[in-house]
Amino acid sequence: MRKQVCTALVLVALFSNTFAQVTSSTFGIMEARALGPGTMSGRISAIEGVNNDEGKTIYVGTAGGGVWKSTNAGTSYKSIFDKYCQSIGAIGIDQKNPKTIFVGTGESNMRNSVSIGNGMYKSTDGGDNWKKIGLDSTEHIARIVVHPSNSDIVYAAVPGPLWNDSEHRGLFKSEDGGETWKKILFKNNKTGCAEILMDASNPNILFASMWQFRRQPFSFNSGGEGSGFYKSIDGGKTWKEINNGLPAKPFGRIAMNIAQSNPKKLIAIVESAKTGLYISEDGGETWKSQSATSNIEARPFYFSTIVIDSKDEKRVYRPAFTFAYSDDGGYSFSGASGDGGWVHSDMHALWINPVNTNIMYLGTDGGVYLSIDKGITWIFQQSLPVGQFYHVAIDNKEPYHVYGGLQDNGSWESPSSSPGGVGNANWNRLFGGDGFWTVPDADGNTVYAEYQGGNMARINLTTLKSENIQPKKTLKEEKLRWNWNTPIVLGSKNPKNLYVGAQYVFKSTDQGRTWNRISGDLTTNDKAKLKQEESGGLSADNTSAENHCTIFTIAESSLDENIIWAGTDDGNLQYTLNGGKNWINVSQNIAKTGIANQAWISSIQPSQFDKNTVYITLENHMYGDHKTYAAKSTDMGKTWTAFKCKDFTSFAHKIKEDPINKNLLFLGTEMGLFATLNGGDNWFKMKNNIPEFALVRDIQIHPKTHDLIVGTHGRGIYILDDIRAIRNLTSEITSQEVHLFETPDMVLNNGKFGWGGPEVSGGWGSGNAPETPTIDYYLKDRVSTGKATLQILDDKGNLVQEMPATIRKGINKVYWNLRGTPPKVAKGSTKMDGAGFTAPMVLPGVYTAKLKIGDKVYTTTLNCVHDNANKDLTPADRKLVFDKAMNLQKMYARLGVVVDSITEAQTKLKSDTVAYKKSRSNQQLVADLEKIRAELMATKQTSMFADEEKVRERISELYGTFCEMESKPNATQIQAIQDLELQLVEQENAFRKLKNKSTGMLIY
Amino acid sequence: MKKLLTVAFAIAMTTASFNTFAQSIDDVVKSHIKAIGGEDNWKKLKSMKTEMSMKAQGAEVKLSLWQVDKKALKVEINVMGMTGYQILTTADGWQFMPFQGQTKPEPMTADDVKTGQDQLWIQDEFITYKEKGKKLQDLGKDEVEGTECYKISLTDKDGKVTTYFLDASNYHTIKSISKLTANGKEVESTSLYSNYKPIEGGLVMPFNTSGDQGEMEVTSIVMNPVIDESIFKVAK
Repeated sequence: MRKQVCTALVLVALFSNTFAQVTSSTFGIMEARALGPGTMSGRISAIEGVNNDEGKTIYVGTAGGGVWKSTNAGTSYKSIFDKYCQSIGAIGIDQKNPKTIFVGTGESNMRNSVSIGNGMYKSTDGGDNWKKIGLDSTEHIARIVVHPSNSDIVYAAVPGPLWNDSEHRGLFKSEDGGETWKKILFKNNKTGCAEILMDASNPNILFASMWQFRRQPFSFNSGGEGSGFYKSIDGGKTWKEINNGLPAKPFGRIAMNIAQSNPKKLIAIVESAKTGLYISEDGGETWKSQSATSNIEARPFYFSTIVIDSKDEKRVYRPAFTFAYSDDGGYSFSGASGDGGWVHSDMHALWINPVNTNIMYLGTDGGVYLSIDKGITWIFQQSLPVGQFYHVAIDNKEPYHVYGGLQDNGSWESPSSSPGGVGNANWNRLFGGDGFWTVPDADGNTVYAEYQGGNMARINLTTLKSENIQPKKTLKEEKLRWNWNTPIVLGSKNPKNLYVGAQYVFKSTDQGRTWNRISGDLTTNDKAKLKQEESGGLSADNTSAENHCTIFTIAESSLDENIIWAGTDDGNLQYTLNGGKNWINVSQNIAKTGIANQAWISSIQPSQFDKNTVYITLENHMYGDHKTYAAKSTDMGKTWTAFKCKDFTSFAHKIKEDPINKNLLFLGTEMGLFATLNGGDNWFKMKNNIPEFALVRDIQIHPKTHDLIVGTHGRGIYILDDIRAIRNLTSEITSQEVHLFETPDMVLNNGKFGWGGPEVSGGWGSGNAPETPTIDYYLKDRVSTGKATLQILDDKGNLVQEMPATIRKGINKVYWNLRGTPPKVAKGSTKMDGAGFTAPMVLPGVYTAKLKIGDKVYTTTLNCVHDNANKDLTPADRKLVFDKAMNLQKMYARLGVVVDSITEAQTKLKSDTVAYKKSRSNQQLVADLEKIRAELMATKQTSMFADEEKVRERISELYGTFCEMESKPNATQIQAIQDLELQLVEQENAFRKLKNKSTGMLIY
Repeated sequence: MKKLLTVAFAIAMTTASFNTFAQSIDDVVKSHIKAIGGEDNWKKLKSMKTEMSMKAQGAEVKLSLWQVDKKALKVEINVMGMTGYQILTTADGWQFMPFQGQTKPEPMTADDVKTGQDQLWIQDEFITYKEKGKKLQDLGKDEVEGTECYKISLTDKDGKVTTYFLDASNYHTIKSISKLTANGKEVESTSLYSNYKPIEGGLVMPFNTSGDQGEMEVTSIVMNPVIDESIFKVAK
């Protein structure tokens, strides 16, 4: 017995080790489609351009979508930071060596949902390669300034951590190009540096704003004794406060800028008890208050940008809630025109081309806008797919649609595939505000969506009319507390059950027309955390983002609709076994695993295989704890096992169990997507064309298409089409050198969209899912020697087609177009002929896929089946189409034989040049042969746009038609084959006649 | 027309890249050169004739490549019954791509001829990079399709950068990315190499290359054949 146990343990260990070898690259061939969209973009935190490049090279830093580079002034962008932290605070360009770029990670627009960074990066080749260069624990970097003439000197304004005290903040300076950093201005562990300005004409003159700030899950504070406005005239060695004329301290955040054309002139918006606009004409020594509208002064913690035209000190820009500009040095402001279309509100970045200051780029909560008239009108840049989804949902339509809500960009839906691929035009806006849960009802025409603070609606997908369905409190109840991101959830067992959560769970079975409260207050209801009206600090700021002690996630068991789980933002996890009559709080049991008991329950996944099993993620980053918490209980929450992996990065948002393979789990964190194939023993980061540090907020798996749908907070939606290769990978397979997977039935058709449809015109576009299953195999190691091919054979062993096979370590996928081998094209025409690239689709039947790797051969069968969904084509029609196509292919080959014979004969006749020149009859014969060739194929065409048409071109055209045909051919098409046969025979006869006449002269 | 040139060039570059291998630090460079047959053997290579085949969905394109070290190269492409070619010498360059609508050979621009000169060098890139004045940069390690690689770049005087990925287990180049700015835009071309085999003269070369144009298989290589240099001339 003992021996058996030992053997079993060894086996388990072996298999476990085998799975330990599974990494992201095992599935690297499977590349997710970035669905975007670019219709609504995401928050932009930094824009910088190369000064002396005609304004062509621009870098855009985003809140959660990394860094994008344009080398054509914004016509197109390319992501250049996919391997690193996606939250960007600042970009600095060494204008002396503009291929040197600094990126400070961690956005510094300190809203509730802001992400965190992990330090400073540097590239010396324009963004192709990056090196991390320190400031690792700063979490937020607001500005980078590179000395204009000494590339070694770099300043970084570092606000530092938002949620906790830290010494990793202040103004940093490097004197060795970023290799080492020295903190040159620091106040206390609560105060960071929010801005640094340099007088470019005298780079030793610096201005810095220090900012004390702090968020808690339930409140925000901007301002404090640490805040202040400082000036240095010795490159940061010494500093003095500059308060003369400014309001009384304490200050909050200060937005400021310097006129580089007249560096004595500065402008600042100083947050204080009397927040206001201030102007200095003497290098910051004295300041004068200037009246300004609320738009200029609003939300200083969030709108921290004010920019003076580098050539014109009177031209001042204030990107804030809306865009404003001044022509008189900031004394008065006007709003931008809407003539170029609506400009997204909430603005954070502005880069003005210093060579032509009419041209500028604006970063908003909804993407980048371009102005070429000094900010008066703006054009939206539609190709930045950096939308910040909170959740993603799917339906069962064909093709299925995806739904989701985005930070400051409402709720949207789009088909998952579309003729030509999914483009911006495929997306439909469903609801406004900040979007969160956007949930399609099973009826196919209803969706539930919301904006911040639980303002939820039932939306008719046909009319897009919405009805508010938010439950209201009764006199006996406390004020309802709705999370910023209020859960709206349909039942997994019974999709007619609609659940929403305030501090109570509400349930509706009639699409939100009536509600039943099915729980008491499931939160801690801690009054100390319920003082939201005091939030904001110097400037009140309570936009429901600070609502707390709320339900954050709800899940109905897919095995029993009476089992419902609810998790709160203050650490409670509760369940009911009887549809809400009683609730049991298991949060103390989780705390036993060492996870802080106030951590948010960020997602709950009741197992689809066992009622007592549940998976959860928790996150505690609002208390300064970024660890990845995910746990499993198999006894209804009594005991918990926390998942561990040294590769986990950052706090967890979502855990998803595969509906077929219970050991396959996916985990989404603030910095990446992870998966396990053995129930959580070994995890690996999934890359699959998804940025390695993507902010993964939500994960769905489509039950029909087996697609993995990932909602990210900064890179839009990704679809990893058909994950069966992941799902079906067992430890038995990974222990083999080579394994050829079974292929699902291959339906014989040209795909959903036939010829594919028009290409997406402009904006962001993603391709469609592959329409035919690929032939998949696993390789334990990359094939470094030997050739790899894949052959398709018919049931008689005849070769149908041979194609190159890939050789990568892990999963490989080879695409077969379901067709045979195209015919050879005869030589001698002046016109390109397409028949050489096409062949008819094979007939239904069993085929063999034969994978040859070096000397070894592996086979599997392929079942090709008729497309029963196509009512235009019966199996008999298909046979007819195939036979006719093969007829034409044979005619094409016959024609080729004649043409090749002509070529051969002519070559032979001309081979003895002396004799040929003397022989008139040989010359005549060559000419006569050429006449036949000229009847058989185009020989005169001299322009690619001319359309010379001879027998070959006619056969080829009809052959192509039959090869693509997916309906019964019409009578004229059948007749045309017979007509062509006559034409071919006529030329064959002519050739034969000539051949007979010239017996002895021609040799075949 | 520019597009035609780009396509032809990409094909030429892919084929020419058979001879471009790389690595990082000195020891790795040495191991790499040893793995591909050693510098002495490579230095004996003065000309080469390569036959290749490219297959896509069952259709086949055949290519022939003639190279004379530092002098000239010619790529002949047979597709759909038509034959096209590209010629590059130290003095000029020509191309004829009838399947793309060209009706007669057309000269390359002086800029394209200049940019292409690098491809005339038949030697391994890492044997000659110093001679060519290229700068080598060690970019650490990276992964190509799950295989650990040394990542190295070579930058020429005009700023053209080629990054090489060397399989850390056998020092073979398994991927390269070339990036250059041509006609005001950045052009990037990626190739993957596999199926390394020894050929005559002790050299080791990849017999399969896949790039933006598809997968190409070498069907034969002849080392130091006598090449009639008149094939590099175009009947005008």
